[in-house]
Amino acid sequence: MIKKILIVDDSPIARKMLKMCIPKDKEYEIYEAVDGLESINKYQEILPDVTFMDLTMPEFDGYQAIAEIRKISDDAIIVVTTADVQRKSISRVIELGAFLVLKKPLKQKNVQETLIKVENALENRSGGK
Amino acid sequence: MNTDSSHIFSDEEKDILQEIMNIAFGNATADLGEVIDIYVELSAPSIQILGIGDIPDYLTDRMKLHPETSIVAQNFWGDFKGYGILVLPNRTGRSLIAILDDGEPNDFEMKPIAGQEREVLMEVGNILIGACVGKVCELLNTFVTYTPPQVIHENSNEYSSFVDSFDPSQTAILMETVFRFKAIDINGLLLVITSQEAIEWLRKALYEFMEPYE
Repeated sequence: MIKKILIVDDSPIARKMLKMCIPKDKEYEIYEAVDGLESINKYQEILPDVTFMDLTMPEFDGYQAIAEIRKISDDAIIVVTTADVQRKSISRVIELGAFLVLKKPLKQKNVQETLIKVENALENRSGGK
Repeated sequence: MNTDSSHIFSDEEKDILQEIMNIAFGNATADLGEVIDIYVELSAPSIQILGIGDIPDYLTDRMKLHPETSIVAQNFWGDFKGYGILVLPNRTGRSLIAILDDGEPNDFEMKPIAGQEREVLMEVGNILIGACVGKVCELLNTFVTYTPPQVIHENSNEYSSFVDSFDPSQTAILMETVFRFKAIDINGLLLVITSQEAIEWLRKALYEFMEPYE
């Protein structure tokens, strides 16, 4: 079951848009990071069930952050939220181990469907253990 | 160059516009990838409020990034009104021609190299500016009309005429995205500049864009 969600995006507006797409009735604990570097520290600190990760960020970008988080945990579920919808960008993040890619601007329906997919993945994982 | 501009555009409005520009340029590069097999590395866009009279100096400053620079410029008008400007080093045209060369002789390759370079730059500029401004318009629920793109070389008479066309009494919002064509190791930047008369409309459109997320 999803309890903790980490949102990583340098844009406060993008973080706000994503938060507004997440259902309120589930009472998720939502954490935020403003760049790739902070996301790694936050990830280690809170161990979120799912991380929503932007790609284009100053200093330490989403590609680097995904790679580092996957080193910390092979099981990390990372959903990429990006405006960069070039085929090579998508295939690169999938190779890095991203769970899904959501195209910006985010839609409530897509975010909610993604959370259901994450729930299912977590259930399958715990059922298999 | 930056003065206190919060009375013209608040920090929140800048943040919304920055995110819209991020989405728009991301889409534009994907559109370019459909035409030319080239991967574009993106950076986060920045938003600044400038006097239009400061833009020639700003452009000159940005063009110092390369020894010789060309720009592709396109005007657009409607509710959203202004200029799209792509700044690239001169050698970009030639490098892009090499990518497009499929080994088959065609009309395009019969033209002199300078003509080919101009046409490639014009096409790349048209796609990036058109797709980027077009996506901004789609997100903000409006549409614009464009002039044809023009390629202008630094230090040319055309460039002087272009910068002289800016009205120094006006204020502009300047959106800048730096990017890199990875395969040919070339950095460029895309500027979208709104004219003063579009600012009021833009502010209203930004809040309408955010309404579903409030």
